Amino acid sequence: MSALAASRSFDDRLNPILVKEVRQALRGRYFRALFWLTLGVATLVGLTIVAQAGSHGARTGVGRSFFMLMYGCLSAAVLAFTPFSAFLATSAEWDENTHDLLVLSNLRPRRIVYGKLLSALVQALLYFSTFGPFLVFAFLMNGVDLLSIAVLLVTSFAACATLSLLGIAMASLSPAKAPRVLLMAVFGVALVIAWGFSMSFSAFVTFQPNELRDPMALPSIVAFVVACLLLGGVFAALAVARLSHDEENRSSGLRVLSAAIVLVAALFGLWMELEFGQSEFAWGLQLAVLLPLAILWLLFVCEPERLGRHVVRHVSPHPWLALLTAPFLPGGGRGVALMALHMLLGLGAVFVVRLIPGADAAELSQALIGLALVYAYAWIYLALPAAFASLLPPKLSTRVMTRVTILCGIPMLVLLPPLAGLVLGIPSWMEFLHPLNPLFPLRELSSGRAFTSIEKLGFLVATVVAILANTPRMTHGFAEVLAASRARRAALAQPS
Amino acid sequence: MSLLDVRAISKRFGALKAVDAVSFQVGPGQICGFIGPNGAGKTTTMRICATLELPDEGDVRIDGLSVLSEPRDARRRIGFMPDSYGAYSSTTIFEYLDFFARAYELTGARRREVLARVIEFTGLGELTEKEITSLSKGLKQRLCLAKTLLHDPPVMILDEPAAGLDPRARVELRELVKALAQMGKAILISSHILTELAEMCSSVVVIERGQIKGGGAVGEVVRALQPTTTLFLRALEGPQACERRLLEQRGVSKVRLERDGVCFEFEGDADGQATLFAELASSGLRPIELAQQGKNLEDLFLSLTEGKLQ
Ligand SMILES: Nc1ncnc2c1ncn2[C@@H]1O[C@H](COP(=O)(O)OP(=O)(O)O)[C@@H](O)[C@H]1O
Ligand SMILES: [Mg+2]
Repeated sequence: MSALAASRSFDDRLNPILVKEVRQALRGRYFRALFWLTLGVATLVGLTIVAQAGSHGARTGVGRSFFMLMYGCLSAAVLAFTPFSAFLATSAEWDENTHDLLVLSNLRPRRIVYGKLLSALVQALLYFSTFGPFLVFAFLMNGVDLLSIAVLLVTSFAACATLSLLGIAMASLSPAKAPRVLLMAVFGVALVIAWGFSMSFSAFVTFQPNELRDPMALPSIVAFVVACLLLGGVFAALAVARLSHDEENRSSGLRVLSAAIVLVAALFGLWMELEFGQSEFAWGLQLAVLLPLAILWLLFVCEPERLGRHVVRHVSPHPWLALLTAPFLPGGGRGVALMALHMLLGLGAVFVVRLIPGADAAELSQALIGLALVYAYAWIYLALPAAFASLLPPKLSTRVMTRVTILCGIPMLVLLPPLAGLVLGIPSWMEFLHPLNPLFPLRELSSGRAFTSIEKLGFLVATVVAILANTPRMTHGFAEVLAASRARRAALAQPS
Repeated sequence: MSLLDVRAISKRFGALKAVDAVSFQVGPGQICGFIGPNGAGKTTTMRICATLELPDEGDVRIDGLSVLSEPRDARRRIGFMPDSYGAYSSTTIFEYLDFFARAYELTGARRREVLARVIEFTGLGELTEKEITSLSKGLKQRLCLAKTLLHDPPVMILDEPAAGLDPRARVELRELVKALAQMGKAILISSHILTELAEMCSSVVVIERGQIKGGGAVGEVVRALQPTTTLFLRALEGPQACERRLLEQRGVSKVRLERDGVCFEFEGDADGQATLFAELASSGLRPIELAQQGKNLEDLFLSLTEGKLQ
């Protein structure tokens, strides 16, 4: 194959959205203006600092501030401008009425989101390569060592990808203009905060480079990058779901990712135990991932129960395989099943770490109980109201109402007793030590207090009711998958 | 077999029934006019046909494929031109078409060939380097039509393509649509520029408040829905005498004086008209002129719909 033919076939395989957006960015005003602005500011500031360095003697100090400023410009570009332009590019598909054209063009939603991400990354790479020489210059000025530069580049690239995906997901949330303007404002603030974090992290890395040689530094960076990837995956799956046809499967991607989050937390805990003998990560991580998981669970358990007409035709014809994959198929009842699966995985992970010789068995046993108690709260707060809502007619407005009610209701349940405690003068309530707080049992366990029998009974009853209320729809959910599987088998057996 | 087969689709928006059990078919090579006042449910029906909206009930088959269970395959066979559609900013005509050609998975030489053909067909040849946002409405319309033709769909759904076009652009559009029908495509075209449709449509479907009010070949529909013909009569004896004589005839109604003659509704075909003419003459009237009044889609539309907007 000649070089020309090779380049043509490469051109054909490029993501269409990437080609379009890069062309648009290079032709449009937004990117060009920002690019030259960032570069101009960086050059000016750099020259000023270098000129001042001539009169002073402290080269390391100058090198450091030079690096900090360069990195500041770079991270503003890749952590703020680039994700924001990804938001705008996605938002434009609604505003310019091109969203319908995209849907009709049969581009898979996955490719649309991927193309948007790629074009954000291409812009980021452009910034990186522009600032590369400046960073090398800072290194030559003894401002910073290579490890610090490498760590900062890797983490900011990962953060850039995640924030861009967050922007794409947020912009795809609402076709209506007003909510999107609100989301844009929220996103803008979030980006400024992210930039602030990256600046303080770069200061930390620049002024205390030896911290990076600490044994715990590598796991922290790996954890950060992995968390970025997983979160990015969740945002991407959300955006894909938003851009998909109503009858298509909009849930399985997110469900698989949510399971991946539990697994990655489990593996990380295992690694920390084996490598560093630190047992608290095993359960601490499972607890930490609960917040993002709870939000995903809220989406899953409120889904309409029935399989879409399109999804039905993708159920495995093999009955066992169909049953195994059932929790990963759309539907509220199957969402509850997935939630249960996550919980088993999380508890299992802690249990496995407990079996490792040298692990802090006493702490882990207590953590197992505490974690199980927190999971029970998830049943009571998420699955129970969702089960009642599932009895209503399956309408989008009901679904949105249920989700919003639960989402706002939980903070209320946690915050109201402290307020009441303030009025009534109950000090423990004021310190969030009340049974409505999902973290209450953990604190009580760690302080060694025994629960009263009323607390135990009430908790047990609520959990059992939550499980029972969800049992019918879980059963239906599995039965529906089996029926679909049977139908597929019958269709396959028929000679066409 | 019909390429576009709409089967009893219904769609509600809250309390409003935007589309109510609508059914019709369009076969290959046919241009079907989809007529109705604003808010009648044309756009909603077309968006359901184009898989952009789900019907509450019913189904649409595109070349035999259901838009409900096989939306992706159905989409490959539909060219839909929305009533308002986007133009990407900072994009040239060529880049725009190239983007959608890539989206339709056209590769290499094939893509270049298709692009060249579509650009030539829509006459955009000299403008390919122009930015879309600077184009006139007529050119944008042609660009969107070009985009719709990239994947050579057998079914074309055009939502009010003539709206806002100057007369010249309208004529050009009509020629393009006719050429497409000659290629054997099934075309559904909505418009309120009714005279435009009359000249190119082989059939019409009239919709009002979500319900089909009539449909079929243009001539047939006119006959079925408007059994009387509007005639104009002028005689030497003057309009009053005409009126008197006419009221004695069978099948005549709604006689009214107009200019120096009378207009009236007559229930009967060409034969009946000849008989009427003879009888009037034998009754002593000396007719100078008996003419059929303009009977086009515009009249049909006005007589069918009650002009109620939703
Ligand atoms: N997304 C929507 N939400 C609520 N009402 C809608 C929506 N789309 C259309 N309608 C209503 O449905 C009716 C039919 O609209 P449409 O199909 O656009 O009519 P047409 O294209 O014939 O003018 C109108 O009354 C319109 O207000
Ligand atoms: Mg319309």
